[in-house]
Amino acid sequence: MSMFDRTLEYIDQLQHANTAAAVCERLLGVTSNFGLTALMAGTVPQPGTPRGQQKDHVLLCDWPGEWLERYVARNYVDHDPVVSHMKQLQAPFQWREASQAIVIDKSSDEVMGDAREFKLRDGLAFPLVTLDGQIVMVSLGGESVELSEAEFGMVSLVSTYAVGRAMQLHTMAGKVIDHIELTPRERECLQWAAVGKSEWEISQILGISEHTSEKHLLNAKSKLGAANRVQAVAEAIRRGYIS
Amino acid sequence: MLFSLTTQELMERPDLWEAVHRLRHRIFVEEMGWTDLDRPDGLEIDQFDHEEAEHHLVIRNGELAGYQRMLPTTRAHLLTDVLSDLYEGTPPSGPNVWELTRYAVAPGFRDGKRGVSTVGTELIAGFVEWGLKRGVNQVIIEFEPMWVLRALQLHFLATPLGYQRTYGNQQVVATLLTFTEHTLNVVRQRRNHFLPVLNRGYPGQLGLRQAS
Repeated sequence: MSMFDRTLEYIDQLQHANTAAAVCERLLGVTSNFGLTALMAGTVPQPGTPRGQQKDHVLLCDWPGEWLERYVARNYVDHDPVVSHMKQLQAPFQWREASQAIVIDKSSDEVMGDAREFKLRDGLAFPLVTLDGQIVMVSLGGESVELSEAEFGMVSLVSTYAVGRAMQLHTMAGKVIDHIELTPRERECLQWAAVGKSEWEISQILGISEHTSEKHLLNAKSKLGAANRVQAVAEAIRRGYIS
Repeated sequence: MLFSLTTQELMERPDLWEAVHRLRHRIFVEEMGWTDLDRPDGLEIDQFDHEEAEHHLVIRNGELAGYQRMLPTTRAHLLTDVLSDLYEGTPPSGPNVWELTRYAVAPGFRDGKRGVSTVGTELIAGFVEWGLKRGVNQVIIEFEPMWVLRALQLHFLATPLGYQRTYGNQQVVATLLTFTEHTLNVVRQRRNHFLPVLNRGYPGQLGLRQAS
C-alpha cells in the first residue's frame, strides 16, 4: 500500500472515531511511528487568561498529566516559544525552529527545559484557523522526532482531520443532551486529581480507602468517555463539573 | 443574493462580465501573486472560462462582493491540466463531481481578520444549494490546508486527493468535499440564515444600489 493510501485509511478511521479519546488514540497511532507520542490541540488562550479557564480551550489532549498540570499552574502558555512562534506563522514548524527563532528569555528557556524533563524534546506544531477566525494550535511532541518533508506533510494533514473530527464531536455534544451524572464523590476525586493528587493522597484527604478513590476515578473516567485520568479531568472541566 | 450564470449568460451582461474578470485579477494576480495569470488589461481570464463553466456571483448593494467558478470534471479542468501534482492515483470525475475554482471575496466584504465573512459563507451555501438541485454532490477544491478544518466544521465529508504542496508562499491541498442536505443545514445554521441564497435570473445593473 502506498503512503498516500495509508494516509487515506488513517483519515477514514479518524472520521469514524466517536469520542475525543478515540481521535487522540488513532492520531497518536499514526504519529508515534515518527516519534511523536504526545499530543495537545486547542484554541490559544489570550495572554493573561485565568488559569482556571485555560483548560476550556483544550480539544484533544494526550500530554503527560504532570506536564499539563505544571504548564497550567506556571502559566507557561504566555512564555512558550512554540506558542509565540505559532501565532506569527501560518505553516507547520518544528519546535527546535521556534526556540532558535526567538530571543530566549528566561521563562521560555524554562518552558523548553521543563518539557524535556517530560520526554518532550522536540515536536512539531502548527496553527489552524476556524470558520470564525479562532486559532487552533496543534502540537505533537516526543523524545526523538524524525520526519522527512513528505512525512511532515502527512502528519500535519492527518492532524488537521483529527482536529476537525474533534470539533465536529464537540459541536454535536453541544447539541444533543448528554448530561452526565457524576456523584459528589466522583466530582471531589476529580477535583483533587485536577490539582495533581494521587489516589492515595485523595483517599487521605477525603478519609476513604485508596481502593475507593480509585473506583470513583475509574467510574468518572468511563462516564466522561475518557481514555485516561488527564482526559477525564480535562473533560470534567470542559463540561463544568469541576473548576 | 447569489446568481449562477453560464459563461454565455455572463457575456450577455458586459457589466457583470467585466466585474468578474476584474475582481479575479485583483485577487489572484495582485493579491495572491499568481503572476502567470497577469494581463495588462487587468482582467484575469483563462482557458477554463468555456461554455460549460458556471459562474457564481454574490451581489451586495449593487456590487460584486464574491465569486466562484464551477467547472465540470467530464472535461479538462484545473486539477487534471494545471495542478496535476496535487493528486495521487486517478482523480474523481463524473457528472456529479464539479471543481470549484477562483473562490474570491472582494476586499470590502471581508468581515474579520481571519474568520470567514458572510459573503464567504454565502458562496459556500450557494454551491451546496446549486449542487443539490442538479445532482452534484461532490466538489474538488484546491485550497489552503486550513480550509480542511473549516469544511469539517461545516460537516462536509472531506477526502484529500493528494499531498499538500507549496506554491510560492502558499500551501495548497486538493480535497474532495462530499455534501448532503445535512451539510446545507449545518451551513445555514452557521450563517443563521435559513432561506435559499441561490436566485433565478440576473442581478440588477451593477452600481445601482437597491432600496431594500
